[in-house]
Amino acid sequence: MIKKNETAVPKPLLGLLLALGAAAGLSAFSDRIDPYHLDVLIGVGINIILAVSLNLIGGHTGQFSLGHAGFMAVGAYAAAAVTLFLGPRLIPDAAPGGFQENALFLGALLSAGLAAALAGLLVGIPSLRLRGDYLALVTLGFGEIIRVLLQNFEPLGGALGLNGIPPYTTVFWVVASAALAIYVVGCLVRSTYGLGFKAVRDDEIAASAVGLDPARYKVVAFVIGAFFAGIAGGLFGHFKMTITPSGFDFTRSIEIVVMVILGGLGNTFGVILAAILLTLLPEVLRPVAEYRLVLYAVLLVALMLLRPRGLFNFRLGRRVSSS
Amino acid sequence: MSAPLLQLDQVTLRFGGLTAVDAVDLAIPEGELMGLIGPNGAGKTTVFNLITGVYAPSSGAVSFAGRPLAGLRSHEIVAAGVARTFQNIRLFGSLSVLDTVRVACNRHRAASPLQSLIRLRAFRESEAAVTRRAEELLELFNLLRFRDAEARSLPYGEQRRLEIVRALATRPRLLLLDEPAAGLNPAEKLELVALIQRVHREFSVTILLVEHSMRVVMGVCQRIAVLDHGKKIAEGSPEAIRQDPAVIEAYLGPDHATGLFHH
Repeated sequence: MIKKNETAVPKPLLGLLLALGAAAGLSAFSDRIDPYHLDVLIGVGINIILAVSLNLIGGHTGQFSLGHAGFMAVGAYAAAAVTLFLGPRLIPDAAPGGFQENALFLGALLSAGLAAALAGLLVGIPSLRLRGDYLALVTLGFGEIIRVLLQNFEPLGGALGLNGIPPYTTVFWVVASAALAIYVVGCLVRSTYGLGFKAVRDDEIAASAVGLDPARYKVVAFVIGAFFAGIAGGLFGHFKMTITPSGFDFTRSIEIVVMVILGGLGNTFGVILAAILLTLLPEVLRPVAEYRLVLYAVLLVALMLLRPRGLFNFRLGRRVSSS
Repeated sequence: MSAPLLQLDQVTLRFGGLTAVDAVDLAIPEGELMGLIGPNGAGKTTVFNLITGVYAPSSGAVSFAGRPLAGLRSHEIVAAGVARTFQNIRLFGSLSVLDTVRVACNRHRAASPLQSLIRLRAFRESEAAVTRRAEELLELFNLLRFRDAEARSLPYGEQRRLEIVRALATRPRLLLLDEPAAGLNPAEKLELVALIQRVHREFSVTILLVEHSMRVVMGVCQRIAVLDHGKKIAEGSPEAIRQDPAVIEAYLGPDHATGLFHH
């Protein structure tokens, strides 16, 4: 008998360490990289985190969520609040790029993740009773509520948003966070525990019949997915240096959903490629200016017609063969 | 006699004006292989759904191993030791045969989800133990050759067998089989009879079998209860049930005392 598929990545922990090393290496040479390319790379990394984390909720667990930009907003504001309001008090005279600054940013990103995870818990609970279209509407509502709340909350800048956020986001932070997100989601869904996410997606009744608690799995998916969306939000804010509530609207959520669907629901590798492609596409289409969005839409329609199960669904059909 | 493993005490379920299950008493001692039969719509599957927590009884009580099951949710009842299969097969569409069994081993997994991220030795050993156990179970039921195939791509009879394996992977004390012979050809039915007897013997599990096929029920069950219109109309050994006029009438109407058991 042939033993295959033990795990797709034989040494995931080694892979993570290599990715972190690569992030540090890339960071060391970032001075020599064209700033435009660096910007695009950071954008790609942030979108990978968003897509991979939404893939856990929507792809692996099958909970169709349209509120991912909401989690991102929570994270972006939480992180910005830490560095803007707490930072000057904790480390009034930190050297730029020094240890203190990086420690502060780490703390800010963790707060971003935790705040978003808490929001994920709150949204996860209605998901116990709703499914499909109804859940999508609730998550859509959640995203809008976050946006409107931020718009009317003056201490965090109201509709003008927060400005002057320090540019702490470097290639290292983005690549390292993306590697961590891929690692966590990848390891989780391959473990015996994590197979439960797919089981819940496929058939909730059968999942409870083998002793899994579907409600718990859904909430866990929302909490972990939101955690990484929050980190992506924190990175985003410290990259753009300014955040406004309108930057996290419904269309941002849709963009992430498109990445997940295009990559193939539950297919981590495909979703990463789709995130890269969909971030680069608008850049490549820049020369055709006003036709850009039209072309983008046409491409999407064409891709969905030609590869309905995801653009990057390379998994060969595993058929029955009596070998 | 010691207390029965599963006891239904005057269990009733009403859907609005319809009484689907009407004051049913049922007691299954540990180690027995019991059959539950009845015409279409008699409430057999509904009884299963009452035992497994899909429905809560309108009145009456279900208890398992001396413990009332009221208020427990389906997965908690599995944790208590009751596993089931489904009349219309419910396999996980995206899981391979091996993963279908692995996911059912979750109750007996040693490593916590957090350990899957840190991946120390304890985690790898726990995962290896789960895989080994799943492979052993598949081997026992001659399904290991399909290890990496998609569960839903299996031939129909193998899918039924895989569902039984999946239920056994939860290490139940009571196994509920909901029409395992449905859709099988006569040869496969014979194999199934042998399989059920083997499961009963080798896994020392108590079995409650809902079935239409008389050949299967009469072949394997030690005791049979008959439901009709939600009421239990008879209970006893296969021979007694075979001759029970109430049973024959329920199945074929009053004028057909013969011919029933040729099906």
